[in-house]
Amino acid sequence: MATRRTTRRLTGSEPSRTTGARAAAIAEQLRHECSILLELYKKKESFTPDILVADGRLVSVPPPSSQLDARDKLWCVHSALLQCHILMERAIAKEEAELSGGKRADYETQRKMVKDRLSLLLINTGELLRAMDGTAAVQTPSVDGLELNSPTALFELKVWVYRIFREVDYWTRTAVSVLQALPSATTKERMMTTRVRSVRSTR
Amino acid sequence: MCRRGHGQSVAMARSSVNPGSKFSSSFALHICVLAGLLASHTLATDALPVPQQLSILADLAAQQLSISWVGGAATTFDLTILRTELDETVFFETISVASNPTSGRQQWNWTSAEPLECTSLSVQVRSRDGQSTSKWSDTLIHQGNDLPTNTKAQVYPQDKVVPVGDNTTICCVVKEKRRFGSMFLGNTTLASKLISRRTYTITVVNQRPSGPAGTNVYCLDDQKTLMDGTVVFVGYPPLPTDFVCETRDLTTTVCQWNVGRESYLYGKRGTNYFINGRRCAGGKLERKVCPLDEWGGNWTLVARNSLGQHELSDASELSHRVCPVAPVQFSAVTHAWNATVLWQWEHDSYYSLSLACQVELTCMGVKTKRTFTGVGLRSVVVSNLYPDEDHSVKVRCGAQRNFWKWGDWSEAFPFRTNVTFPDAPDVWVWINGDNTGQLVWKPMTHRQSHGQIRAYKVTFWSPEENEQHSEVILPNSFAAPVNLSHFATFSGDRIVASVIAENMGGASPPSSVLIPLNWTDKESIAASRAVYADGIFPLSWQSNENATCGYVVEWHQGSCTVNCPVKWIKVAPGSSNASIESADFLPGVRYHFSLYSCSSEPVQLLQRWQGYMKELVPSSPVTLAAHQEGSDLVLSWDGIPLVSRRGFILGYSVYISDGSTSTLLANITDPEARAYRVKGYSTGTYKFTVKTYTSAGEDTGATASVTLERYADWLILEILTSLGIIALFMVILAFICCKKRNWVKKAFYPDIPEPKLTGVWSRTQGPLDVKPSPNSVVHIVEKPEWDSSKEMLVVIPEEDEGDEGQMIGDEPVDTDEPTSIRYYNQVVDERPIRPRFPDSSASSASSLDSARTDVTYTGIQTSASSLVWPADPQGPGESHQPLADLAAAAAAGGGGGGYKPQMQTTAQTQDLGLASPESPSEPQADFSGGYKPQSSWHFDSPTEAGEGSGLMPSLGSPTSVASTQFLLPDGEDGGEERRQPSSSASTWFTNLLSSSKP
Repeated sequence: MATRRTTRRLTGSEPSRTTGARAAAIAEQLRHECSILLELYKKKESFTPDILVADGRLVSVPPPSSQLDARDKLWCVHSALLQCHILMERAIAKEEAELSGGKRADYETQRKMVKDRLSLLLINTGELLRAMDGTAAVQTPSVDGLELNSPTALFELKVWVYRIFREVDYWTRTAVSVLQALPSATTKERMMTTRVRSVRSTR
Repeated sequence: MCRRGHGQSVAMARSSVNPGSKFSSSFALHICVLAGLLASHTLATDALPVPQQLSILADLAAQQLSISWVGGAATTFDLTILRTELDETVFFETISVASNPTSGRQQWNWTSAEPLECTSLSVQVRSRDGQSTSKWSDTLIHQGNDLPTNTKAQVYPQDKVVPVGDNTTICCVVKEKRRFGSMFLGNTTLASKLISRRTYTITVVNQRPSGPAGTNVYCLDDQKTLMDGTVVFVGYPPLPTDFVCETRDLTTTVCQWNVGRESYLYGKRGTNYFINGRRCAGGKLERKVCPLDEWGGNWTLVARNSLGQHELSDASELSHRVCPVAPVQFSAVTHAWNATVLWQWEHDSYYSLSLACQVELTCMGVKTKRTFTGVGLRSVVVSNLYPDEDHSVKVRCGAQRNFWKWGDWSEAFPFRTNVTFPDAPDVWVWINGDNTGQLVWKPMTHRQSHGQIRAYKVTFWSPEENEQHSEVILPNSFAAPVNLSHFATFSGDRIVASVIAENMGGASPPSSVLIPLNWTDKESIAASRAVYADGIFPLSWQSNENATCGYVVEWHQGSCTVNCPVKWIKVAPGSSNASIESADFLPGVRYHFSLYSCSSEPVQLLQRWQGYMKELVPSSPVTLAAHQEGSDLVLSWDGIPLVSRRGFILGYSVYISDGSTSTLLANITDPEARAYRVKGYSTGTYKFTVKTYTSAGEDTGATASVTLERYADWLILEILTSLGIIALFMVILAFICCKKRNWVKKAFYPDIPEPKLTGVWSRTQGPLDVKPSPNSVVHIVEKPEWDSSKEMLVVIPEEDEGDEGQMIGDEPVDTDEPTSIRYYNQVVDERPIRPRFPDSSASSASSLDSARTDVTYTGIQTSASSLVWPADPQGPGESHQPLADLAAAAAAGGGGGGYKPQMQTTAQTQDLGLASPESPSEPQADFSGGYKPQSSWHFDSPTEAGEGSGLMPSLGSPTSVASTQFLLPDGEDGGEERRQPSSSASTWFTNLLSSSKP
């Protein structure tokens, strides 16, 4: 079993490196697109630039701390992005139901782009996690505790959507830093080997 | 007491609602006023019942309070509404309200400008009868959402929809323990108003339509933190138009309408439509469509949104509202020139309906419409099609009777017509100068070929010889070679060339051209100019009766001479003009146009033209050469090739340039000029530029430098000519002098007459005392002891200078002169002599310029005039005495004897008194032989010496003579008449010399 897992790790080291780079590139692209989306939304809703929206996380995942290793950081980011994706889908649905109409504008296009890019990033982080774990499938993070009830008042709904976009932006930036900080293939191999040994010793 | 009682009741009512609030001064004042009014009407108050059972029903969305009470029989009431916290009166009005007969209650609806949630409102009612009023009812408070128990921030109204142009008041209830900052409408902050402890309001006036997401209004605290907000939607009520219902299947109904004015309300706030009470989505398009299951005949459309609704109605019979659906299942039976198009109907009911159908035929992008009618129409024959081409048809139909409208267009149905034989090709012939050439024909368009051309069949035959030669040409070739020399042996004067095109549909009719065996040289006919204008070359000619089948106008590029890619058009008989238009015309290219007649005879060249689509400057300059011819410069150049001319050459401009600037030297307007002679330039190097110009301007020009050198032959010729002229002049002069030598001699070398002694020589008394001096200085000495009876000339030799010195002491003699022979001519002209020199010294000095001898003759009367002067008062006989004496002296002097010629009988004292250095001198004496004044002249003129006629003048003598008078001859044979002209000549010459004297 150990031999099989080692073999999987060796064959999977190269793909993990490319997947990591690709995921970092996607995250970087998503970060750029998300910043544009935020600007478009603020412009659309005529929010003054210096407005301060009461903070409070919508994503129920703690930020990755420095004590965590790369894999756990990535897991943390992957979980947060998954919640962001769920929240974003919910926000889009509510917007379409309550506030849509007229011609499609740049905002709607950018919103869809961010959502699709976020899906792609999730796929890549999932692949990266699988590669790092050496498993065929990665566990889907739990979304329990995620507050999906959207406000009924339209202004509150708008603020909620804005906060979701900010969450996406925040976690995308976090993903960029985590993915770019991923160790090199050699280090990763060593790290993963250590992880396997620790698992053996535990067993 | 009264004040307290009323005041207490009011205060109690308020305190029950808002015990924590304190009375303000304004509220107290209000209470006092109210109490005063109550007190002043005590009697009436007692009569009017106080309203009881006051109740409030709030419609928050409508911001409306429905206030009801039991007021008994009273119909007039005072109603007051105050903001409870600040006791601000919002409403105070006397109203008339009748009691509801069923409930016995009075009711009044009051709409608030601001949302009812913003703050609490206190309501009181009292009865009124004229000026009499009852007591105020108990205060009823409608509680707002700014109570201290509700600590969160709030904004009202929430998500309100208002009509465009309306005014809206929005309030913000500040969160407890936070301070109000500002309120924004969109990104614009608005002035707010405090209406309660925590509530601020803004009023948005004349609102404009909002977007799909509405307009945000939000409230910030003093830290610019968002507290709460709301969304306001501003739009219009629905206003649909053009509601109409029709049938497609002759059974059901389809109703349509336009949305009309945009409501600016979307989604949940958008417009809903209902037809006869049934909701219709209508789709997302501007034109809404709603199908109904059956034909009702009457329809009502209700459009409704948050701001209102609008109704439209329609009614009609079914047969008047038939709009057929589009036909389906198309098919076609095609031919070369027509096709039968067939289709089916979705509804069987159509097959019994009289239909009018429109068929839109599209071919090569061109659309045409044709209309067909018939009951249950389902096929039409479309004619006038093009063979082997793609066509497509669309069909739509309408009811022929009670036509309502055209139905929907069907989908386009494409089909392709069949192939058939081609049209006859358009054939022409090009013959070169050497009787070779080519038979050419135009490539066929698809409309002409009627299918893919497989080959061309070319036949040459002679009608007289009945011989023919055929060949097959590939479909991508459009020319066949012709060599008329091959038919030279034929008896006829022509051959017939024909072309047949073949495709899958068959062979085309032949197209022929009659070629004369003796082809006319094109250059035999002069070409005129063809002017391009408005995209064409308009050509015109005189109609030719022989052109029974019209004309052919061909054209080609002028630079081409052999097997040119010729183009042509055929002109109908009787025409006398043609407009040549081609996309191939290029600017700067000369085109040659030729007009041929077409008849039963071979083609005949009638007329020629040349023209440019657009003239350009020549593309290349002339080849310029320059050389010197004599003193001129000759610029010569070659003609520009035709292809480089790019326009009709109008002439040449000759420039001379001096480095930086060019100066136009000549404008040669003769296009055929090939040289230009530059004249009048001095030696040097010159640079000339010759630019050819057309109507488009000058080309860049060709430049040549040439150095103009001195023309040596011409110089020599000039010198020789000058010398020749001089020689000729000299010859003429010599000839004249030879011919007139006597005159010349007399004029310039007149004979000096020898002295003649006509009188008695013995009259002269006294010796001639001559002292020959080496320098032959003649001193005029005035001898003291001289007396008139012994007057004589005394010559003082130079050797006797010592004596002379002694004598000089007594005589006014110029001592600078070493030797001088002086005369004391006693026979002097008594006329006053024009003084030449200021004094004697000057005269002496002048005489000393002579190298050897300076003889000063003063007063020697040699001229004829002087000789004839009758100055002597003693009479004519005496007047000639001196000459006679001189002649005698001369004769006697030869022997060196004494000489006394000047001795006169007149008193010498007076003459001597006139004597001066400028006085006339006597003839000089000989060195050895005494005084022989004429002997030296004879010596100077030996040739004349022998002549007895006269004496030689003193000219040419080595002796310098300064004399104001010439000694002119007084020949014996001269006579008076001969002497006269000599006198004038000598006078002229004398004057000449005198004037030359310094």
